[in-house]
Amino acid sequence: MALLKRKKASITKSVTKTKDCSQLRALLIADSAQDRRCAARDLIGCPHASTSLLEQLACEQETSVRQVILSSLTQIGDQPAVTGLVHCLRSEDVSLRNEAIEAMKHLPEAVAPIMANLLNDPDPDVRIFSVNILESLCHPAVETWLIDVIRDDKHVNVCATAVDLLGEVGSPAALTELNNLKQRFGDEPYIQFTADLAIRRIQGG
Amino acid sequence: MKNILIIDDASTVRLYHRNILEASGYEVDEATNGVEALEKALSGQFDLFIVDINMPKMNGYEFLQNLRKENITQSPAVMVSTEAADLDHDQAFYSGANLYLVKPIKPLQLMTYVRLLMGEESA
Amino acid sequence: MTEESISEQDFAKFAEYFYRKTGIKFDSSKRYFVDKRLNERMRATDSDSFRHYFTLLRFQASGEELQHLTNLLTVNETYFMREDYQFRCLVDSVLPDIVQRHDRNKPIRIWCIPSSSGEEPYSIAMYLLEEWSGINDWDVEIIASDIDTQILDNARRGIYSERSVRGVPLAWKRRYFREVREGYQVVNDIRDAVEFTRVNLSESADVRRMRDIDVIFCRNLLIYFDDLSRKLAAEYMFEALRVGGYICLGHTESMGRISSLYSVRKFPAAIVYQRPLEAK
Repeated sequence: MALLKRKKASITKSVTKTKDCSQLRALLIADSAQDRRCAARDLIGCPHASTSLLEQLACEQETSVRQVILSSLTQIGDQPAVTGLVHCLRSEDVSLRNEAIEAMKHLPEAVAPIMANLLNDPDPDVRIFSVNILESLCHPAVETWLIDVIRDDKHVNVCATAVDLLGEVGSPAALTELNNLKQRFGDEPYIQFTADLAIRRIQGG
Repeated sequence: MKNILIIDDASTVRLYHRNILEASGYEVDEATNGVEALEKALSGQFDLFIVDINMPKMNGYEFLQNLRKENITQSPAVMVSTEAADLDHDQAFYSGANLYLVKPIKPLQLMTYVRLLMGEESA
Repeated sequence: MTEESISEQDFAKFAEYFYRKTGIKFDSSKRYFVDKRLNERMRATDSDSFRHYFTLLRFQASGEELQHLTNLLTVNETYFMREDYQFRCLVDSVLPDIVQRHDRNKPIRIWCIPSSSGEEPYSIAMYLLEEWSGINDWDVEIIASDIDTQILDNARRGIYSERSVRGVPLAWKRRYFREVREGYQVVNDIRDAVEFTRVNLSESADVRRMRDIDVIFCRNLLIYFDDLSRKLAAEYMFEALRVGGYICLGHTESMGRISSLYSVRKFPAAIVYQRPLEAK
């Protein structure tokens, strides 16, 4: 036995025959996880793909398939995809929630119009997750949204998460509200710490 | 000297905890999610873990389950979260946490529990 | 234009951001190196302040500037036996684990991407012949891929400079290279053992041609991808691997920052990632 001589045959040349959309939809609920991943990946070009993917996501147990579904939803990035991802933010499944946050970071154009609503959601957890999304969202309004949060939000952890991020993206425009926040949560050492750090970083830059 | 691994995706939170722990004489290392933390736990010795729940790639629960299932270490773990729901509380212990704290955390509170969990004199 | 000075605070912000994006850590001891390149990019992008440049870097939708900067801040020199602790891990731990459940009648398949100019796949071939006794019992196929067909042609020719072969033990150099006018050429036996083929790791259809791989070496490539492409590449490679197959990344790279599909495996010589044996 030894190192094999190169031979073209070792690489599958036979391109998998493209399946049509109805076949892919059937495959998305197949028994084999590999088939489901494959369908989730190839459904991208099909009409109403987001709806099919979200339906499967709701009941999919296999982590690897969920990951591929979420990647495909991110690549599609249409309104149904985003609505479905927002729904995932309310899930009690931590993995699903975090995967949805990661996916939404890649969809600035689709997420921006609903961001104000998300940041005013009655559930503080959803508001925290929305600030988490802002962390990597490439959008010019990120700082304004964060300043609104630290001015208006009553929940200490929502504000704390926003200040953490302002330390990175904040400009002098955030200074007034950072100082106000320190007053508002005068007895919270963490707020004092993170706001001071943000202020120092903004002034130092 | 005792080693503590802080696992949190927010760098400011890591720095905050680091400052408190270093001021009390502990060695501190950091990881930004569960997978990175597992890599560190596999290559180093830690006496305590401070674990955030919500992190990308691998969350705090999954990290602790892996840590315990793979029998990497039985060192105590403090789980920290922004949520106060009982459900999370139960899941934290089920995953192998020894203590569950809700953010924001005060320095004295953190040090009291850290000392307690490491079997040092309680404050 | 004058050299823009970058404050300590700005450097900290930048270092943190860059670490989160690429996994590469710069502390203040690297400031000269980093500042010089940051200034270069600030000039190239007409940024009049660091803040302006940092905003561009963070919020540019195309991510183009981050790629430029990453290219500048990473020295990607390839040479024989580079990061060879991973080859040690391959022969001491990974292959012994793989052969325990491998079909006797099928070859073990190792895939290098990027092939670059061929130093890595050839190094692996030599390492297997010299350091792995299992080579007497098993067939091994080595496939090396790159997006750049020009570089693949160079790799097939297998001619290298003195500098590129400096890490090769003398005895191996005698056995596996011959001196030619331009430097050293890898001998035919080794060149014939590596199959070079063009693959774009960002193209699902390209990667789909790769199946039943036992070990992937994907070192220092994913740092040049944006977050989403990196995650997709990890998913495509997952499909290319056999169940229980392994993936080795570069020493500054961590799968933990990319995807949670894989399990972390710690071996004495290195940490590698595995497509889990049982369904998660």
